Amino acid sequence: MASSGKSLPHESAIGHVTGTAAYIDDLPTTYGELYVDYAGAPIACGKIARIDLSMASRIAGVVAMFTFEDLPGHNVFGPIFRDEPFLVEDTISYLDQPVVVVAATSREAAKQAAKAIKIEWVATTPILTIDQAIAANSWLGPQRKIERGDVDRILKNSRLTVDGIFESNGQEQLYFESQACLAYSGENQAIKVICSTQNPTETQMVVAEALGLQLHQVVCECRRMGGGFGGKETQSAIPAAMAALVSFHTGRSARIVYRKDQDMLVTGKRHPYKTWYRAAFEEDGRLSAVEFKFYSNGGAFADLSTSILERTMLHADNAYFIPNIRIIAQACRTNLPPNTAFRGFGGPQGVAAIENLIQEIAIRTQCDAFDVRRRNLYRDGDSNRNTTPYGQVVQDHVLEETLSQIEVSSEYQTRLESVRDANRNPSLRLKGLAMCPIKFGISFTTKFLNQGNALVNVYTDGSIQVSTGGTEMGQGLNTKLRQIVADEFGVPVRSVSVMTTSTEKNHNTSPTAASAGTDLNGQAALDACQQIRRRMADFASQRLSNLEDVLPPSPENIRFEDGFVFDVRTPSNRIGFSSFCDEARRERIDLGARGFYATPGVEFNRETGRGTPFYYFTTGAAVAEVTVDRWTGEYTIDRVDILMDLGKMINPGVDLGQVVGGFIQGVGWCTTEELKYDPQGRLLSISPTTYKIPNVTDIPPILKVDTIDNPKHVVNVFRSKAVGEPPLMLGISVWLAIKNALSHLRPGTIPKLSIPATSEAVLRSITVMLENPSEAK
Amino acid sequence: MIGTVKISDYTILTRRFSNVRQQIHFCLNGHRHTIDDERVFLSLAEYLRERCHLVGTKIVCNEGDCGACSVLIGRWDRHSERYNYQTLDSCIVYLFQLDGSHVVTVEGLGDTHFLTPIQQAMVRCHGSQCGFCTPGFVMAMHGMVETEIAANQENLSYELSGNLCRCTGYASIVEAGLQMNPENCARMNTRYCPDEIYSQLGNFEADSIEIKTSGGTVFIPKSLPEAVSFRNSHPAATIVCGATDYGVLRNHDKIVATDTLCLVNVEGFQSISFEDGDLKVGGGATCYQIEQAVREPIPEYYAILTRFGSPQIRKAGTIGGNLASGSPIADAVPFHLAMESQVELVGPDGIRTLPLEDFYQGYRKTALQNNELIAKIHTPLLKDDERLKLIKISKRRDMDISTATFALWLKLDGKTIVRARSFMGGVGPTVLRMRESELQLVGSPFSKESFQRAGKVARTAIQPWSDVRGDASYRLQLAENFFLKSFHEWEVHHG
Repeated sequence: MASSGKSLPHESAIGHVTGTAAYIDDLPTTYGELYVDYAGAPIACGKIARIDLSMASRIAGVVAMFTFEDLPGHNVFGPIFRDEPFLVEDTISYLDQPVVVVAATSREAAKQAAKAIKIEWVATTPILTIDQAIAANSWLGPQRKIERGDVDRILKNSRLTVDGIFESNGQEQLYFESQACLAYSGENQAIKVICSTQNPTETQMVVAEALGLQLHQVVCECRRMGGGFGGKETQSAIPAAMAALVSFHTGRSARIVYRKDQDMLVTGKRHPYKTWYRAAFEEDGRLSAVEFKFYSNGGAFADLSTSILERTMLHADNAYFIPNIRIIAQACRTNLPPNTAFRGFGGPQGVAAIENLIQEIAIRTQCDAFDVRRRNLYRDGDSNRNTTPYGQVVQDHVLEETLSQIEVSSEYQTRLESVRDANRNPSLRLKGLAMCPIKFGISFTTKFLNQGNALVNVYTDGSIQVSTGGTEMGQGLNTKLRQIVADEFGVPVRSVSVMTTSTEKNHNTSPTAASAGTDLNGQAALDACQQIRRRMADFASQRLSNLEDVLPPSPENIRFEDGFVFDVRTPSNRIGFSSFCDEARRERIDLGARGFYATPGVEFNRETGRGTPFYYFTTGAAVAEVTVDRWTGEYTIDRVDILMDLGKMINPGVDLGQVVGGFIQGVGWCTTEELKYDPQGRLLSISPTTYKIPNVTDIPPILKVDTIDNPKHVVNVFRSKAVGEPPLMLGISVWLAIKNALSHLRPGTIPKLSIPATSEAVLRSITVMLENPSEAK
Repeated sequence: MIGTVKISDYTILTRRFSNVRQQIHFCLNGHRHTIDDERVFLSLAEYLRERCHLVGTKIVCNEGDCGACSVLIGRWDRHSERYNYQTLDSCIVYLFQLDGSHVVTVEGLGDTHFLTPIQQAMVRCHGSQCGFCTPGFVMAMHGMVETEIAANQENLSYELSGNLCRCTGYASIVEAGLQMNPENCARMNTRYCPDEIYSQLGNFEADSIEIKTSGGTVFIPKSLPEAVSFRNSHPAATIVCGATDYGVLRNHDKIVATDTLCLVNVEGFQSISFEDGDLKVGGGATCYQIEQAVREPIPEYYAILTRFGSPQIRKAGTIGGNLASGSPIADAVPFHLAMESQVELVGPDGIRTLPLEDFYQGYRKTALQNNELIAKIHTPLLKDDERLKLIKISKRRDMDISTATFALWLKLDGKTIVRARSFMGGVGPTVLRMRESELQLVGSPFSKESFQRAGKVARTAIQPWSDVRGDASYRLQLAENFFLKSFHEWEVHHG
C-alpha cells in the first residue's frame, strides 16, 4: 500500500506534543560551554568613535569579547552582493547592528556584559523610508524592467484610466524559535555548528569565510527549526558566525539564542513597498495597459533584496493577462536592518498591487470585482491570453475552473446580494465580500539554486535512512520525504528515518525556500532510491529467476511492494524486503546511493526581463467576507472559502495545514501586523505584546478549504505541487473584502487603504470617505 | 478628597500572626522541591529549563503574551481535598508564588509511549507544524479538561486565545480540541494522587514565609495584617500578587530582585460577593474569578473582562493589581469609575474608603500610601433606569493591550438623560472623566444629536499621544465615535 496520498502525521508530531522534539536551546550543555551575546550599534546611522569594554570585562563570568579585528577571515559577506559586514568596523548602518561579541559562563552574565559595553558614536541622519531613499538616490542593485506592448500610447489614448500610489508595509517572520546556534570546535581547527537555519550550506560558507577556514573544515547541521518562514534563509548565518567565532577562539562549545525582542529588533523582515501605478481599462473592467513602478525598502545591505524584487515583478500580473505592461522596479538602501526573505518572497507585494488595482477598476466601472477578475484571467491554450509579460506561457492550469467552482461552493452570488442589502443603511456595520486568485511561480528565479541532492542508506534489516539538504521548519518536508522513499521500496513509513540535515552528508545545497523543498529534495531522494532499486532489481532478478521453469532474469519485472520483493510473473515466490537486503549485502550489492536533481527547462534573463523562470505554477482562489464596525474601524472575518490546485498531494494533511497556515499568515500581513519605528529608526513593535500576529479568535468561524483536480499537471515529484508560499497571498482576499466594504460608503469613490489595514487605518479611511470625499481617491 | 476613615470589623485584622518558615515547598510533576535562597526569584520557566532540565516548556516572548510556556499549576482546595489546576504562563510565574502548589509540565503528562487523548488528537489532526508552541497548546487543552470546560468550538477559541501559533492558522488545533474526548482524558487528580501531593506539602500550609536572600527579603504572608505589617516596615518593597505586570518588568530588567511582598497566599483576599446591591471584590481576586462571577449580573463588565489579557493572564492577574497599577489603559478601571466604585485601603491604622475616582492622581500615581494595600473594591450594580456601555479598542481583538477604553453610564427618565458619567482610557495620563461630554448629555433627549454633540466635545477635551498602539488622530476620532457607536448599539438593542 502506497503511503503517498495519505494524511500521515507529521514525522515529529509525537516529539512536538510531548515536548521531546529538541530545538537549539534544548540541547544538553557540555562542560565549559559559553553563552554568547552581542552589543549592537546604539544608533541607525553614523560612525563608531570608541568602544569601551572596561565595565563589561569586570562583570563576573565574562570570558571573552571579540570585535571584527578578531576575525581570522573575512568580515564582509552577502548571499548576492558581498556588501554586509558581519561585525561593524567603523560605519554603523542600522540600529543594533552587531559590534562586539561577548562570551560568558552564564546567559545572564553575557547579557549584562553586552549591556555594559559602551559604544561612543557620531550620528548622521538615517534614511529610513522609501521616500527618503528616493530623494537621496540610495539604491541597492540596478533598476530592473519587464515590458511588453505600448503602454504609453494606450494610457494616453484611453478614456478610462486609474492611477495612484499603493503601499504595503513590512512583516516580521516571528518564527517562535528565535535565531539560535550551538558551535563546537574540533580537531585541526574544524568547527561544527548546529544551527536553526533554512540554509546549512550558506551558514557553512559564512562561518568558514569569517574564520578563514576552508569549507571542508566546517560542518553545519540542522535537525529542525521552530519556524523559519524565510527569516532563517540568510540571517541565521550571523548568530552562527558569532557562536563559531567564540568556539574557535576559546575551544569551548558556545551557544547563542536571541531573545525574542532582540531578534525582532535586529533581523530583517518582509520588504515594505511603495508602488506607483497607472492603468487603462475597458468598460467591462478588462485591462488594456498597466504600469507599475515598484520601490522596495531593502534595509542597509543587499541580502536577498534584488531576488525578492525580481519575484515581485514576476508576480505583478498575478493571474491576469495584461496585453500592454511595463514593470519597473528598484530596491532602496536604507538604515533599517537588511530586509530579507519571508514566505512569498516579494510575490505578495506584486500580487497585492495588481489586486488593489483591479478592485479600484471594479469600483470605477461599477462592475462586480469577481467578474472583472474573471474577465482578465489567463486562459489555458488561448495564445492571445496565455503569455506572461516576461514571455513564459502559462499552461496546464485550472484557473478558470477554480473560479467557477469557488463561485458556486462559496455561494458568492447569493452572498453578494445580502452584502449589498446589509450596506444600504449602515448605522453600525459595513459588510464586504471579495475573491482573490493566485498564480505563483514555482522555482528559484536564480537558476543555479534549482538543484538538490540526497543520500539514501538501506540497512540489512530493510530499514532506510534518507538525508537531503532540505531542512524541516514545520512545513512537513521530512514527512513527505519519508513517504516518497517508503513508496519507492514498498515498505511502511516506519522503516524510513529522515536524518538530521548536515553539510557533511549533503553539500552544495540550496536553501529550503521558494516552496521547492519537496520538489528538489524529494526528486533527488527519488533518484537515489531508483539507483539502489536498479541494483536491487538486477540482483533480485537473478535470485528469483528459475531457468527450469523458463523464467529468465528480468529486472523490469521485479517489484518492491508491501514489504516484499518479487518477480511480477511469479508473485507467490517472494522475499521479505529485510532478508532480501541482508542477502544483497552478502552478495556485495551497494545499498546506498546519492541522488541528484536539477529542475529542467528553467531560465530567466534579468537584463532583458524575458525567460521561463518557473517550472510550473501553483494556483488557487479565496473568497472572504468581512464585517467592519463603522465607528471604530474594527472588523471581523466572517467566512473564508479557499480552493487550490495542489496537484496530487503526497500528504493532504500536511498540505492543507500549509494552506490554512499560509493563508492566516497572509491575513496577518494584511490586517493587524504593524511594524512601527521611531524617528531614529528603532523598531517599537518588538515583541508579541506590541506586534500582533493572528490569534485563534481571528480565524473566521466558517473556513472551508478544498482542492481542485488538475489532470493536466503531469510534472514534478509524484505529480505533486509546491504549497508553502502560494496560499499566503490568498490572505489578500480579506484585505480586498475590507476595501470592498468601505467602497459601499460612497459608491463610485475609491477608499484609500494600505497594507496593513489596521482598525486605525480602516477608521481613517471611513472618516476621509465621509468627511472629505474629494481626498479619497 | 479622602473618604471617611473607619476602623472596620474586618475579621482578618484580628487574626493571630502565623508561624513563619524560611523556605517554600512545591511539587513539580509529583516531586517536592524546596527553595530557600535566591532561586526564589527565578521565573518558573527559567527554573524548569535551566535548573531542572525540563526543556519541553518553551520560552518565546518571555512576557506572558504567547502561551508557549504554559503549564498547569494546581492549588489545594480544602473543601474538595483535591488540587484545582489552571493553565498559567510559566515565564511570568515566580517560584515565590508557588508555595503549596503542584506544577505539572508537559513532561508530567505522560511519555512518548503513552500519549494523552489530547496529544493523540493533536498528532492525528496535524495540530503541530514547527512544534514550538505545541506543548503550550497541549497544556492549555489539559487546563480545559481540568476546569471541566466543554471542548466546543466557542470554548476552544476562548480558552486557547492565550496561546499563539505562527504555523498552523489554528484550524487544525481547534479540530484536535474538538476530537480530544475529554472524558477519556485522565485528570491530574487521577494521574497524581492529591493525598500524596498534599502529604508532601500540606503540613506547611498554615505558615507565612520569609526568605532572606542577597537579593532581598521575600515575605509571603497568610493574612492581610501580616502583609500590612511587612509593608509598613518595608515601604519600598515590591508588591506582587499575580505577577502579570511584575513579570514583564522583571524579565526585561526594568525592576530587579528586591524586597518583595507576595500576596498570593493571603487568606480571604480573593473573596467575591454580592451584598446590598453591591459587588464586593477582594483585592486578590483574579480577573478570571471576577469574570465568572459577573457573567450573569453584569454582562457588560463580563464582556470587557473576557478581553483582558489572555486566559492565562486573567487566571493570575488580580483586580487589586490592575487598579493599583494606575495605568491609563488598565482594562477594569473605566467600568469601576463609571459605576462609582469605592476602594477599601488597609493600612496599619485600619481601613479607609475612598471613591475610586479620587484614588487616581496622575500617570501611574495613586492615593495608595506606601504602607497600604487595596483590600476590597465595592461597586453598585446597574439599576433598571440606568444604561452602561463599555468599549475596548485594541489592534487585535484578544490578548492585546488597549489602544483606548471607554465607559458611558446613563440614568434615564423616559427618553431624557438625567445623569451621565463617561470615562476614557488611553487618551491621557489617567483614565479621564469626559465632563464636557456629560454636560452635553445631561438634560438632553436620548437622540443621535445629543450623542453627536457629546462626541464632538469629547474630541476637544483630550490631548492624546501617538504610540505603538495608535496615533493621536485615531484616539481623537475614537473619542468622538464612541458616543455615536453607543447610541446606535443601544438603539438596536433597546429600540
